[in-house]
Amino acid sequence: MKRILLISCFLLFLLSCRKEEILPVPPPKQEVDIFTISESEVSDGEDIMFKLTSDSTYVLKLVDKVSGQVISKEKIKGIIGVNKIKIYTKSLPAKYLYLVLEDGNKKEMNKTTIIAK
Amino acid sequence: MKYILIVLFSLTTLIGFGQSVTAPEPKSFTMNTAGQDGSGFSLSGFNSTATLLCAIGLPTAPSGTTFYISTTTGLTAASGFTLSGNKTRLVFTGTMANINAALATLKVNTTATNGNIQISVSATVNPSGYYYNPSNGHFYRPVSTGATYSNAKLLSSQQTFKGQTGYLVTLTSADEDAFILANVPQSNIWFACTDEVTEGRWIIDAGPEAGTLIKTSNGQTAGNVQGQYNNWAPGEPNNAGNEDYPVTKWGGGTQWNDLPNSFVNPYVVEFGTWTNPDDQTFTEFVSNSVIHSNGNTLRAQFTFNFGSNIDETKFKSKIITSTDDITYNTNNNLVALNGIGRVDLTNQIDTSTISGGGYKALTTGGQVEWCVIYDYDVSNQRYRIGIDSREVNGILATPSSITSLQLFDLWNGPVTFNSYDPNGWTEVYVYTQTQFNFAGSSFASKIRQGNGFYGISAEFTFQQNMVNKYHKISMDIQQSDLLTLLGSAITVGDVYLAFKEFADRGILGDESKYFSSGIQFHNADVNEDGIFDERDCYSLLTHLQGTTSLWTNPPQLGDIMKIVSSSAYDNITKQNWNTYTGITRYRYPFTFTNGILNAYNLDVAWKGDVNLSHSSQPAGFVTSVNSISDVSQIKSMSVSTNSIGDVEADILMEKIGDSVVATIMINPNGNQIGATQFDVYFDNSILSFSSTQFTTSGGANFSRNNGSFISLGSLNTSGGSISNIGYKVIFKPKSTITNLLGLISVKSTETLNTSLNKINVKVL
Repeated sequence: MKRILLISCFLLFLLSCRKEEILPVPPPKQEVDIFTISESEVSDGEDIMFKLTSDSTYVLKLVDKVSGQVISKEKIKGIIGVNKIKIYTKSLPAKYLYLVLEDGNKKEMNKTTIIAK
Repeated sequence: MKYILIVLFSLTTLIGFGQSVTAPEPKSFTMNTAGQDGSGFSLSGFNSTATLLCAIGLPTAPSGTTFYISTTTGLTAASGFTLSGNKTRLVFTGTMANINAALATLKVNTTATNGNIQISVSATVNPSGYYYNPSNGHFYRPVSTGATYSNAKLLSSQQTFKGQTGYLVTLTSADEDAFILANVPQSNIWFACTDEVTEGRWIIDAGPEAGTLIKTSNGQTAGNVQGQYNNWAPGEPNNAGNEDYPVTKWGGGTQWNDLPNSFVNPYVVEFGTWTNPDDQTFTEFVSNSVIHSNGNTLRAQFTFNFGSNIDETKFKSKIITSTDDITYNTNNNLVALNGIGRVDLTNQIDTSTISGGGYKALTTGGQVEWCVIYDYDVSNQRYRIGIDSREVNGILATPSSITSLQLFDLWNGPVTFNSYDPNGWTEVYVYTQTQFNFAGSSFASKIRQGNGFYGISAEFTFQQNMVNKYHKISMDIQQSDLLTLLGSAITVGDVYLAFKEFADRGILGDESKYFSSGIQFHNADVNEDGIFDERDCYSLLTHLQGTTSLWTNPPQLGDIMKIVSSSAYDNITKQNWNTYTGITRYRYPFTFTNGILNAYNLDVAWKGDVNLSHSSQPAGFVTSVNSISDVSQIKSMSVSTNSIGDVEADILMEKIGDSVVATIMINPNGNQIGATQFDVYFDNSILSFSSTQFTTSGGANFSRNNGSFISLGSLNTSGGSISNIGYKVIFKPKSTITNLLGLISVKSTETLNTSLNKINVKVL
């Protein structure tokens, strides 16, 4: 009986030592710099986040991946650190797009693929 | 030049330009006969060294009908098939040359059952790493670099192949499971199913079957839902360690096990959502089919030639019938056209007949000469035939209603009434270039030759002439699809071309420099008065400007669609186009003959489509607006002179005061721009269109609100150029908005230089 108890305790010990399985839960898009992800699905009106290192005027462009044409472009006043903007996708004529960030001199700073849902 | 050729070649290769399957013309097979020629299919336009996947099938055929191919050199049968023997479906791979050699030996085995035999052939490039399952027409891509279940599912959904979005493979049949087992070398392969919501309740987790419950409790067979495919290993699923996701080929075997999400396993991405391989919609598949007959049967097959840029499958059609050509029975169901604009409406033909007016005189051999045939009138190429009026009196109220005659084996056809004498003869004429063969008639004993006449011993009866009902094929398309079609068919290029043609029509107004076909005049004559003039040009312009419209709101197909038989279409010339009245229609009348294949080839054009960009292009048509060749033309110009390049369009969306403004500024970059058009899309649930401002000079501007997008642009109505091209489209927000990205977007529709060449616009 004593041996059984010892074995049981040992088994319990082993089981308790089993690494707890923590599944990686993808963080919300508005909390991850979208330019650090190679490809994201974006819903209409969804907030996206990106980080900047200086306060300045920037340009955000949506480029049709198939034709290479810019289809939407907006100037923004960026701030150091976290910036959040909405992307509207409902009326876009293309769904596979590059999101491109340019500085005030039209120099490309960042680029990622988005799939408009 | 070399560079251009390389680029063009690469583009051609990339977009699969010109890939097609040619199908033979329909024919009638002999019933119950093996080995009949079914050849006539061939592939073209594929890279000669590429491995192609080809499927031959019989989507419609009397039961028992099969086919075979006798040359199989270089072919490899797809999983589940063998190349030899009689088939109803065969899938294989090979090069284009090998496949064409095989198709040339296609033979059909018919049965004793009368009916249609549809043979279809489809082909696509078969890239390595993708496996085709012929039983459902889906492609599968094994991914050996493993992932957790959740990542495998996510990564699968981010893949596309031949126009289809992928999903983590679902296993819904033993066939599909066996296919994975046979084609994926790894073990423990994730597939889309889970019991993460309720332990033991296994639900398909992706693809077209997502949400389907297949099992209600753990254990190899416990709770297996009838009709759903389960293939669990003994003792599985058992949830040993929070196992909510399944793998097939567990431990290298053939069955399933449940595992926790954290396991990193290979997986398979599936592409395709249909169950019938012949209904698949992979974009890079090209296919064609033919419907032959087994035995002689009535057939009605219509082929609409829409030209390029039209999706034929958006159109549906049905047959409508009438007894008086006024009121039509429209009860038949609409049937969609296939990808080559073809539809078979045999089942909708009404073979019941109606009175065609008039009577037919019929003869049998008799004892009395009730009939006389006078000698052939060579100068009028006719016979005068008398019927003794005693055979007519009291039987036919109006002897003049005799319109046809069957006279022994001498004549069976129409006659023209001549005269009636109640006490003498009822006379008709038979017009024929071939004289009757009296001597060779099997009724020679009933024929007596006289002096200048033949006496005929015949008894007469009369029956009403019966004809088929009036038939028309009626076209249909969804209103939204029609609006999209019209929006792309009638653009600034059509209007500019119309003005250019009108402006350069010569001193007498009878020269044509830019139209090469009569149907262009027909399409440009938008008021349909038979004259192409400035009123038509300005109607096109004001249509573009949105102040008037070429069609009613909503547009009616019958006001804008033109249907013409192909033989007539090619005969519409620049001289006779205005004699083709009544061709603007969506219902096309036709006649048919019982017991044979009635094939109708029809061409379609659209009112206002002056450059025929969305209309059938007749034989000999020379496009005055170049599109593909111009790319190289313009590129070569820019290389050689370094002065002309792509037109550049700089766009920007910004909030100004309480408005939202989209600005488009054009840099011609050395081009002489004659006309340009852009479409500005906007989210009409957030913005309302306010106005458009133009900076363009030297031409007419236009802006038309289409509901969800604004078509705007400019053109020089004298055929010259426009300058200072720029637009501001102003919207009012319906609610508070913080930023605009994606709220408004711009697409360049068409830009032409003054030589009517289409030029590239680079949107920056």
